[in-house]
Parts: sequence; C-alpha cells; structure tokens
Amino acid sequence: MRLSSFLQSDNFSGWAFILPYLIAFVPLLLWPFFQGFWMSMHEWNLLAVTFNPAAKEFIGAGNYIRLMGADNLGWSLQPLWPFRLVVTALIIALYVRTLRSQATAGISHHFIAAIALFTTVVLLGLTGDWYDTRFWIVVRNTLVFVAWVVPVTTAVALLLAIALNREGRWAATLRSVFFFSQILSVTVVTLIWQLVYGARNGFIANLLAPFGIESPNWLTDDQLAMGAIVAATVWWSVGFALILFLAGLQQIPGERLEAATLDGAEGWRKIVQIIVPSIIRTVQFVMIMQIVLHFQVFGQSQLMTQGGPGDATNVWVRYIYQTAFRDSEVGYASAMATVLFAFMMLFSLIQFWVTKRQES
Amino acid sequence: MKLTKTLTASALALCVTATGAQADTELELARFFGDCDNAGTDVSTAVGEACIIQTIINAYSAEDNGVTIETLPTDWGNYYDQLKAMYAGNSAPDVHVMHKSSVAEFASLGALLPLPEADLRAAGINPDDWVDRARDAVTYDGQLYAVPMDMHANLWHINLDILDQAGLVNDAGEPILPTSADELMAHAKQVKDATGKDYLTADFAQFPIGVRMVLAMLWQQNSNVFDGDTATVNTPEAKQAVETIVGLFDAGYADPNLNYSDSQQAFLAGEAAIQINGTWMVDFYDSETANADSALQSYYVADYPQLFDQPATWADSHIWALPVTLKNDPEKYEAALDFLAWLNDHNVDWARTGHLAIRQSVLDSAEYQNLAHRDEYNNTVNIARDNPPAVRYSAIQDVLNRELQSVWLQGKDIEKALSDAEREINRLL
Amino acid sequence: MNQHALPRWVVIVVTLAAVVWLIPVVWMVSLSLQPNDLLSRTTANTFLGLVPVPFTLDNFQAILSIGDTPRWFLNSMLVAGGSTFLVLVTSTMAGYAFARIRFTGRSIVYPLVLAGLMVPEQVVFIPLYVMFADWNAHNSLPTLALPRVALPIGVFLMTQFFKDIPDSLEEAARLEGCGHGRIFWSIMLPLAKPMMMTLAIITFLYSWNDYLWPLVSAQRTDFFTITVGLAKIQGNFAQSQGLGQLMASGVLASLPVIILFLIFQKYILRGIALSTDK
Repeated sequence: MRLSSFLQSDNFSGWAFILPYLIAFVPLLLWPFFQGFWMSMHEWNLLAVTFNPAAKEFIGAGNYIRLMGADNLGWSLQPLWPFRLVVTALIIALYVRTLRSQATAGISHHFIAAIALFTTVVLLGLTGDWYDTRFWIVVRNTLVFVAWVVPVTTAVALLLAIALNREGRWAATLRSVFFFSQILSVTVVTLIWQLVYGARNGFIANLLAPFGIESPNWLTDDQLAMGAIVAATVWWSVGFALILFLAGLQQIPGERLEAATLDGAEGWRKIVQIIVPSIIRTVQFVMIMQIVLHFQVFGQSQLMTQGGPGDATNVWVRYIYQTAFRDSEVGYASAMATVLFAFMMLFSLIQFWVTKRQES
Repeated sequence: MKLTKTLTASALALCVTATGAQADTELELARFFGDCDNAGTDVSTAVGEACIIQTIINAYSAEDNGVTIETLPTDWGNYYDQLKAMYAGNSAPDVHVMHKSSVAEFASLGALLPLPEADLRAAGINPDDWVDRARDAVTYDGQLYAVPMDMHANLWHINLDILDQAGLVNDAGEPILPTSADELMAHAKQVKDATGKDYLTADFAQFPIGVRMVLAMLWQQNSNVFDGDTATVNTPEAKQAVETIVGLFDAGYADPNLNYSDSQQAFLAGEAAIQINGTWMVDFYDSETANADSALQSYYVADYPQLFDQPATWADSHIWALPVTLKNDPEKYEAALDFLAWLNDHNVDWARTGHLAIRQSVLDSAEYQNLAHRDEYNNTVNIARDNPPAVRYSAIQDVLNRELQSVWLQGKDIEKALSDAEREINRLL
Repeated sequence: MNQHALPRWVVIVVTLAAVVWLIPVVWMVSLSLQPNDLLSRTTANTFLGLVPVPFTLDNFQAILSIGDTPRWFLNSMLVAGGSTFLVLVTSTMAGYAFARIRFTGRSIVYPLVLAGLMVPEQVVFIPLYVMFADWNAHNSLPTLALPRVALPIGVFLMTQFFKDIPDSLEEAARLEGCGHGRIFWSIMLPLAKPMMMTLAIITFLYSWNDYLWPLVSAQRTDFFTITVGLAKIQGNFAQSQGLGQLMASGVLASLPVIILFLIFQKYILRGIALSTDK
C-alpha cells in the first residue's frame, strides 16, 4: 500500500521522468565538463598518458598563464587606434542619442555602453609579449567570423522572409530553394565552395576568364580567405534563419501589415518600424542561436583553408583540436576549451540580463 | 520443424565458411599516400605512390600466406592527428607508415614496439643490407623501431622546353641551373623575358614545400633551425634564404598563392619552367610526357642546385612501424613482420615512384639504375639532409610553415616572422 | 501570410538570387556527370560547366562499385536518427517533469541542466574522447550518437513549451484519476507534436552535420559518418581522385537527404514554429 502510494507520488514520478535524460546528462556532459577543468590544470600529453597513466603533472594555473599571460603587460592608445577611435565615437553617439529619445527605453543602455567602451578602450589597448601569440590571433579570427556571419545571415534571411511571406507557388518554391542549402552536410558545402573558389578551374575563375580578368586565389589570399569562408557559411546557414523568421512573421496580425506595398522608402520604413519590432524576439533568438553556433566553427576552417594562409582563418575550436591531437597537449587544449566556455557564458549572461530587463 | 532444421544447417554452413575465412590473420594497416582506385595486384603497371603501395599491399594479401591486410582510410593533411587519436583510443593499427622525423616523438612516448634484430632476420629482413642513413632513420636510443622503405628528397622537376626557349639548356640537352642566389634571379628573369612564364612553382600555401626549400638553403650556408636545445632561426643565413625566395615572388617570377594541386597543375599546364617537389613525382611526370594534352613533353629532373657554400637538399624517409600493443599478440606480430619483409623485398618496386631505395643490393641492381630519369638525380643521395631528431619535430615544422606562409602570403616582416618562429621553437625544444 | 503584391523589382531580385543560390549545387551535379579526363583540362566545357555535355555516368558507377559512400550514409542516418529519437524521448519526459511536476530536488536539478546549455559539445569533446577511450568504446555507432543526447537544448525547449499549457486541461484529467503517465501520454504529447517536430529537425540537422566528434571518435571506415568519409576522400583528392568522382560522391552523399527534404518539405517549412513571440 505504501509502495503504491509512493509510486504515485510526485516525487517518484518527477524523478522517473527526468531519469532517462539524467542518464545521458550526468556522464556525458556534467562529468566531462569537470573532468575537462581538471585536465586543464595538468601538463597532460595524450599519447604519454595512454601508455603511462602516471605521466601527467599537476601544474595548477600553469596552462592558463601560458595561454593568456604576457611579459611587459601594458596598455596603450596605439593598437588598432583608428578602429577603436571610430567605434568609441559611435558608441558614445548612440548612447547619447538613446538617452535623449524615449523610444528604446527599457533596454539597458548604460550597461551595454559600459561593456562596449571597456572593450574598445581598455581590452583592445592591452599590449605585451604574449606567451601564446597564436591564441589571440585565433580568438580574433573567431570573433571576426561571427561578427560577419551573424549579421549578414540575419539580414539576408529577414529580407527574404519578408519577401517570401506570402501565398502562391513562386514564394513556396523560393522558400524551398533558400532552405535547401541548409540540409547539405558541412563536407559537401566545403567541397562545393572550394571548387567554386578554385584559382585555376573554379566557377568564379571560369566566369571571369572571358573578360580577361584573372581570378584571385580566394582561399590562399590573406585578405580574401576569411571573406570567402564567411560567404560560404552564409550561403549554408540562411535557410534555417529564414524559416524561423517566416514562423515569426506569421504571428503578426494582418492589419499591422496593412497599408500599401513594400516599395521605396515607404517599404524600408515599414520594415524597420513595424515588422522588425513585431518579431524582435525571433530576431534575438535567431541571432543568439547563430552566435553560439558559429562560435564553434570548425569544419569550414579545417576543410577549406586548413586555417591558412598562416593563421589567417584559424579558429578557436580548430586550435583546440590541433593542440589536442596534433600536438597531443590535451591539458593545454582543455584550458583553451575552458576559456571558450567562460567566454560563451559571459555572453549568455549579458544576453540573459538584457532580455530580462527588456521584459520588465 | 523442417524450416528450423534448414535454418540451423545454413547457419552452421555460414559458421564453417566464417571460420574458414578467419584462418587468415587480419592486419589493419594505416598509411598516407592517398587513395588508389582499382588497385590490382600487378605492381609493374601501377603509377604513382598511392597505386604502387596499394598494389604491393594487395599482392601480399592475395598471396597464400595466411594474412589479409585491411588498409584504413586516412588523409594526408591529418594523418598524424588521426594516428595519435587511434593510439590514444586504444585502437592503433597493426602496422603503419610514418616518417623518420616522427620516430623520436612516438618512440619516446612508448608507442612503438622495438624490433629486435633477431626477429627481423627470422622474418627474412637483413638490416645489414640497409644503407647507413636508412638504419639511422629507424634507430632511436640504440634500438630499431621500424623498417625503412625509402629516402625521399626535394628535386627540381624541369620542363626542358621552357628552359630551352630561354636559352637555359646546354648542348648535351641538360638544363643550366643557377649556382648562386643572384644567378637564380637572373635565370628567372631570363625565363620571364623569353617566355612570359614563371621560373618556378611549388606549394608555398599548404604543405611545407616552401619550408623545405628554406631549410635546404640554410644547410647550404652551414646553418640550421636549431642546435641542441636552442633555436637558431633568427640568423642572417635564414634571412638570406627567405629573402631569396621572396625576391622571386616580388619580381613576379613565382606565385606564392598556389597550393599543392594548383602548383602541380600549373607545372603540367606549362605555366612554369620548374617545379620544386619531392622524388615521389618522378614516375607520374614521366608518364605525363606520353599524354598529348599535357604541356609537359620534355621532362628532366635534377638534383637540388647548390646556391650557396655547399650542396644540400631536404630529405626524409618513409618507414613502417608496429604499435607497442602488438607484443601481446604473437600471431599478429609474426604476420606483421612477414608483411614488413614483403615490403623490404619490394624495395625496387617502391623506388619506381622516384624515391631512393635504401637497400644496398637494390641500389646496385641494374633494374634500379635503369629506372626512368634515375641517372639525372644521382647526387641527391649524397646531399640529402634533415634536421636533427627532435621529439617536437612536427610541431616545429608547423611553426616554420605558418611563419613563412605569413611572410609570403601575408607580407609579414621577415625578421619579425623569424624572431616569432625562434621564440615558439625555443618553447617547443 | 501577406496578401499584398510585391513590387516587380523585388520579385526579379529575389528570383535572381534564388538562381544564383542554386548555381553551386547545379554545378556540382553537372560536374559529376562529365568525364574525368575532360575535367582535368576544363570545368567550364558547356555553358560554364553547368550543363553536363559530354555526359557520362562513369563517375557514379566507379563510386558505387568501390566506394563506402552508401555505408557512410547509412551510418549517418542511424546516428542522426538514433540521437534524434533519444533526444525526443528524454527531453519530452524531462521537459514535462520540470514544467508540471513538483518534486523534491527540481529547484536544484533544473538550473543545473539549464547551466548545461552553455556547455557546447566542443568544450567537452576532449574529456569525452579520453573517457570513451578508457571504455574502449570508440568506433561504434552508439558512441557517435550519445554525446548529442546529453545536450540540454531539447529539455529547455520542451520545458518552456509545457509550462505554457493551461492548467485546466490537466485538471480535468486529474479529477478522473489519471496519473502523470496517462496525462503525459494522452494529453501532453499530442499537444507537443509541432514542437517535437521542430526539435527533431534541429537535432537531426545538427547531428547530420556534426564533424568534430565523428572525426576524432571514428577511425575505422565501417564507422565513418558521411561527413567524415567525404572529408577523407576530399583530403586525398589532390593526389589521385578525379574531380568527377569527387563530385559524384558529394552528390551521392546528399541525394537521400535531398529526397527526404522534397518529400517532407511542406512539413519542415511549416513545422518550425518556435513560440518565441509569445
């Protein structure tokens, strides 16, 4: 009797319902997470430990110091000064404007402005002889990649969604076309685009040849390689954002979309003032999802450029992979992974906080 | 009932055939060299590294020797990552190829199985027949760890037609090659002026062919990348070597942006007079001269020319090793040694790729000496050089490749690149 | 849906964009249907190479006769399908419990799971690799599929979904004496179908496209997924493979998903209705 009442209790049911998930969650995510942190505090050679489990050495924060430390640490106005100057000016201008107008009240502009200023003025001004110069290059590349892919994908997908959010065969076909590239696997995407970019027999080279223009080496040119990867990624990932936007648009009541067409200045005004605010949460969701996703970019860099030329397209996860497997330094690689985690957590917290403030 | 019986009977029959097949010891083999479609068992018709090695392997499997070999697919660029992942995942292949330069790393970590000379002899391999350099290549800490297969080195692959148009072929039909850095530039200009084509092409953008050129020029100046525990990258000699190459790019006599296959295509399409690449290309380029569509109709291959004080070219060795785990499996161990003996016996077939054989008896044989173009790069064996063994050799190579690429592809300052490389290599040593 | 007509220039621009969008894929298919020795000279034979003239099926024949592509494809299907199924089962159950059952420990476990949202696979793949190596479990399909099941995005989405369902629905059932099992099975699951479809598509796509984990875990041909298998062929391309064959394997690898997509496209394009705008 007591057993059966226990079996019907909320406590039993609750745990029984979450048990299947916990069986996967605890050993395959929670435990490895702490294990990774533990590994990051060791000098740990993958092969050496395989053949001699005792061949690891506890070094505390050693890997983190090697990763992010520097001699002669200092701060100066000089690094990237034109960029920093322009961005700082922009931030201040935006901040002042937001303070004056009431339209965007509720967004925590003080906080965002403070973070942005801190980054451009202080963080980007740090100088020193970094112990691991490659790490900062790779971090910068990852940020540049995300900073291009996410806004471009979002903008393209949003515009397409607005155009294709209608009945009829034309819109239906085109929705399928733009979603289509999303279902290809990363290897197929990189295979196709490597060929499209080929300097000798690539599609772009073929296209330019009749005009006597010699195609640049998209994937080995320092200035172009990152852009080439970004374009391929946008092509690949617009589809999913597109259908999320379509779903969002369908929840806008029809009367709000009344009033004339989307033509001319009127059309742009409508997109910015009516449509985007109506689906602002979808926009946010799409952007967060993509930021998280593209932060972990690996395949494009590994398969299209091998991180080259030099380190120009090397990215964070690929550096982790290489350090762990090519160099066998899993301890050091774990430290990089932990920093990646901290970075993404910081981002998520800011995002969470902003959304919270917006809702209240 | 009847059905059950039939089923049982057929299941039994399956078991019988299954055990019949299992009588063969199965060995898993990991290698690079690329894939070969339709590799048969006839070694004499195969062309190129991938097909020749796979044919030798297939021929061994086809023999009635109780051993079947399964070749694991791996790709070039990530071979060592994958090999290490296999070792660390307790699923090392039973036999695998590697480079001489990686022996120190793998053996020092206890991954490789030492091969006692007595066992090798029992399997039919005579280490005394190996040339000294080959023996050194597979020795670590006084122990043999592998069976060598070749020595391979950088050569100059030449399209004689282009050099001829530029007046750089002598009466004997041999190419006239530069003997100093200045002459290199002069020849390159001569070719550009006469034909409009690039003087040389090589993979400067992907695989470390460019690094190997710089290394050769360092050794030619009696310098090196490291000396014991100290990196010696930021030297006038290194600067001279890199500047020589960058000079070619700046003058438009070579294109740094081509990767491996692009540079190969450029050479085959007659867009450059010379390709700098390894011994492994010789039989392929030789076979291309028979192809009417190819711009390479008159092929010559030369030793890496001496541009500075002494001759030198980059060289390494392909060798075959067994994982340490094989010592617990005598049956596989014996089978693997038998296979290594087969490879050793087929040394001359492998040399058809263009590689240098490592057995004295093969080197002396008429069959070897009559291989195509062999007499054109006889001196390579004498000038071949490599870095001293280092546990972090491949990581050092990566650093050099990255820093040098950033010089010729990204315009990084040479001295800055060299000092960055020196700092990183010091850390690795 | 918006009923207003689009300005003509928008129609033209978007249509052109769609054509450009398709060019890379059309080109790949076309190249796979041209002879290899032609491709070694030019990839722009007929109309920039977009039309397969001269035409041949040799490349496909070659791939099918020697290749492992069908096997890799099957592996990918099993891995992506298996992890999708497990994600659906575990996350609907856990989502229901977190959203609608008051049990001791919920206030500790749920935030812990949510914190897991911030741990991407790429952060834990090294310890996972070492762990599975200790268990001698690499080179198996479950090892390829399981790590994805642990990612909490599904639990999060399902919990959010179940939270929004009005209590009245559940109370009626409760009065008739239904336990959590019955309520979950007969009331909640049918309601959750669209959300589950969305989750299934997300999980399947990401699992299908996964590259890093199978790259390190699967070292034997028999356990390659299509992403890793194709990457291996690609990596060796420069040395031996013909361009036509390479493209053919790309086409072959994509064909089945393309067919699946064409069959289910209405459902897929309509099904993704994340309730992010409540």
